[in-house]
Amino acid sequence: MTLDRTRPLFVRLLLLAFLVLVPPVGLLSFGAMDEFARGLVPEMDKKAVTVGHDLAASIERAVGFGIPIASLQGMEDFFAPVLAANPEIRYLAVTDPSGAILFLSGAGREALEPYFSVADFGAAGAEHPKSIIGNFINLTQSLTVKGSDVGHLHVGIDHDYVRDRLLEITVDIGVVTLVSLLVAVEILLFVVAANVTGPMRVVGKVVDKVRRGDFTAICGGGSDDEVGRFVHRFNAAIRRADDLFRRLDAYIDEVRSAHFDKSVVERVADIDSRVRFLFRFSRTGQPEVVTERQATDIRLPLFLFVFAEEISRSFMPLYISSLYAPIEGLSREMVIAIPIAVFMLVIALASPSAALATARLGSRRVFLAGLIPAVIGFLMTALAHNVYDFILWRAVTATGYAVITMACQGYISQASQQQNRTQGLGVYVGAVLTASVCGTGIGGVLAERVGYRTTFVIAALLALVAGMLIYRLVAAAQPQGRDRAPRKRELLGLLRNWRFSALVLFAAIPSKIALTGFLFFLVPLALTQDRGIALGDVARMMMLYPVAVVLLSPLAARLADRTGWKAGLVAVGGVIGGAGMLLPMLAPGLEMIALAIVLLGLSHGLSASPQLAMIPDVCWIECRNMGQTNVLAFLRLAERVGSVAGPLLAAALIPLHGQEGAIVALGWLVLGMSVVFALLSFAYGSGPHIETELAE
Amino acid sequence: MEKIGQTSLAAMSGGLPPPRPVRWSLARKVSLALISILLFTLLVAGFFAYFKFESVYSSQVQSRYSFMVFTIKKRVEDSLNLGLSLRQLRQVQDILEHEKQRDAQVLAVEVYDHRGEVLFDTDRGAIGGKVSDALVEAARGNPSQAFGLADEDTLIVGLPLVNALGKVEGGVVLRYSAVYVEQGVGGLLLELAKAVGVYLAIFAVVALAGLYLLFGRVGRKLAGMEHALTEVLSVGGHAVPEAGGGEFEEHFAEFVDKTREAIDHIRDATDEVGRLDRLA
Repeated sequence: MTLDRTRPLFVRLLLLAFLVLVPPVGLLSFGAMDEFARGLVPEMDKKAVTVGHDLAASIERAVGFGIPIASLQGMEDFFAPVLAANPEIRYLAVTDPSGAILFLSGAGREALEPYFSVADFGAAGAEHPKSIIGNFINLTQSLTVKGSDVGHLHVGIDHDYVRDRLLEITVDIGVVTLVSLLVAVEILLFVVAANVTGPMRVVGKVVDKVRRGDFTAICGGGSDDEVGRFVHRFNAAIRRADDLFRRLDAYIDEVRSAHFDKSVVERVADIDSRVRFLFRFSRTGQPEVVTERQATDIRLPLFLFVFAEEISRSFMPLYISSLYAPIEGLSREMVIAIPIAVFMLVIALASPSAALATARLGSRRVFLAGLIPAVIGFLMTALAHNVYDFILWRAVTATGYAVITMACQGYISQASQQQNRTQGLGVYVGAVLTASVCGTGIGGVLAERVGYRTTFVIAALLALVAGMLIYRLVAAAQPQGRDRAPRKRELLGLLRNWRFSALVLFAAIPSKIALTGFLFFLVPLALTQDRGIALGDVARMMMLYPVAVVLLSPLAARLADRTGWKAGLVAVGGVIGGAGMLLPMLAPGLEMIALAIVLLGLSHGLSASPQLAMIPDVCWIECRNMGQTNVLAFLRLAERVGSVAGPLLAAALIPLHGQEGAIVALGWLVLGMSVVFALLSFAYGSGPHIETELAE
Repeated sequence: MEKIGQTSLAAMSGGLPPPRPVRWSLARKVSLALISILLFTLLVAGFFAYFKFESVYSSQVQSRYSFMVFTIKKRVEDSLNLGLSLRQLRQVQDILEHEKQRDAQVLAVEVYDHRGEVLFDTDRGAIGGKVSDALVEAARGNPSQAFGLADEDTLIVGLPLVNALGKVEGGVVLRYSAVYVEQGVGGLLLELAKAVGVYLAIFAVVALAGLYLLFGRVGRKLAGMEHALTEVLSVGGHAVPEAGGGEFEEHFAEFVDKTREAIDHIRDATDEVGRLDRLA
């Protein structure tokens, strides 16, 4: 095991976390399901008996009026509302005393006739004999008129009904387990980095200095664990050497200034020179304390904050819909889309100022300042009365979101100047995507149980925890070294670079249109309003998107690095995303929407990293002049046009084409733009482009 | 890491301060985090399982009673369709009482008119009284859609009563005991609480054992390096990395040797300066 590297220790910890978290949850859910089945089955039997009793009473009354049971009319109409209102009841049947089926609704004769024709319903002795016929639980009720048996009524319960409910619990618990594992990954990663590998990496740096005879530095930090004790001892050794040197230095100074024998002074000076030649000690009188900022320092707070925001992802349009009141001139869908678009717009507008504030005040202070609007926004969104105040509080939340994410990006960017910028970017993207998986998955399940408003309160609490972590764990000092802030003219000048403009217009913007228009806006509406699917299921389906991105993104990044085929990957990704959204046109159904979500995830997984990796090649000159960070920030800002337009476009399309039609129409738009980019990508060439410089 | 070149094992500090005590070991810190996550996971999983069961179970119970209400509604509406007014349907009282007798959990069944006046009730003393506004309002909803309400410790399920012309004449509601549902799901809650406690205890022990094993190695490695540092600085000799140790350990051994070399060199230099100083 290597102490100064996170991976070996972390992998072992992850295995342990898996061992500690998964089996107990599995056992818990197994036990719960057993209890669930034991509780639910008798209740279903009671219901079947109630239904059978009431239907039998009606049939007996009719037969009592003298109508032969086989001649009863309208039995299917009589059964139909009962079957429609009680999904767990699969069939209703009436048989004559010999077991021949007279009336049957909800199942095929061939499934029941063989059983009814041989069964002796009176022999069992029970009032309501119960038997299992294939996939049905059959409860039989005698039909008796004036003391004589005229036949039997059969109520067939779906044997899979209980199993389906159990499966729902299993899936819910599966989501909880996945989320817990991901949270465990984040926390353990943080614990290992902060307590072991971080301090040991600093030790490694100081060790390297000392190996070369440089005693000018000691390690910062002083935890009260084994690593802290080791660092304390390690520093003590350096201080010991430093102390001895200071004493020698003072002695030499004394001898040089006070000794009358010049030859002694010269020889002492030689000793001094020899020591200083062999070893370096601090000139400030004591060794410099070395601390190291790591991108991972901020990962856990960032994860928690994005988790808090993503928690409402799966039900946002539904919550807005519940607050809906007609606004003149706007369709219902447009009213629902506006808060989502406003949220994206405010992020876009606030981000540049937030980045400047981060540069001036430091990430920690800006993060904590951003928490104020974010927490107020979450809490007040929970208390919103109507769409107007909802929009206001979402705009406030968006301000906090922009400020906090910029503070985190600033911190990571500055910390990773000391390490590796790509690694730093990976920390940011990793935290955001993991939070997206967790937030989307758990948010829907949570909202289903405790409601939309409480879920927003939970989001506020999570944001507060993120703030507490920042307050306690991230140092207040601001690391130095930032790219110069570019002027507006320089940024707009980027658009003169046709490759950059094409990337923004035909790749970045359509991908955001698909994300906010399709995934954030249309999917929750289409799934719940058209099909009545439960919120937890919507969330689980939406979770497919970040899961696909998480799985594919690292592979795509590696592929782009190895092959250099970055523009191609962006183009292929865009086409896949757009084409996926056309699937509901081929076969309307839940599966097609789920597949479209997966394809959108694959699309963004394929194109997101290559899109960023293209920038240094496509904007070679601009990156040199303005700094790569600023060019990337401008790309992120420009693509927000798509984020804002997505829900508005989707809302405008619903009245024309319906919800599934809007998905398809948006798909055509995204596909069209992606095809344009695919065609242009052939002209991109490879490597850095310097035409801009030559033109100037 | 160990020390070679000297035989003395005297525990000398080599001029270093005494080691700092470990107050919160790594294993303890990570255990706290992991056991907290385990507790959180079990609680959330248990919470979701319980609420799913509670929701399915209570809707199952409600749908049973709503079927009973549906039957009553049909019979009352059949009479209404004969042209009689709701108030005139004297047989309704018998129907309600008969239905109540069928199920011990049914607390009351009542029929009220569109103004909320109770016309028939299994609790005859309540006839002539008023139902709550919420029930009057609920009866104005979808005629074929059962409504459910809660009233202190009773649960209510009802349906609007509609005449042949589609006009809402009133409503029929059945009150049943909330305790019945609570008892039905209470068993699961108890089982879940027990299971959470047991699994937390068992897997917390697994976590502790695993973490002490894992971080024990880290601690021993650090202690070994610390020991070698102290020994080399106090007694002398060379530090050699453990067999199979990584680059870090090799560099650390070089650090120890270099520190010792610096200390020795500075001491020698100090001695020499002293000797020269005394020569005069």
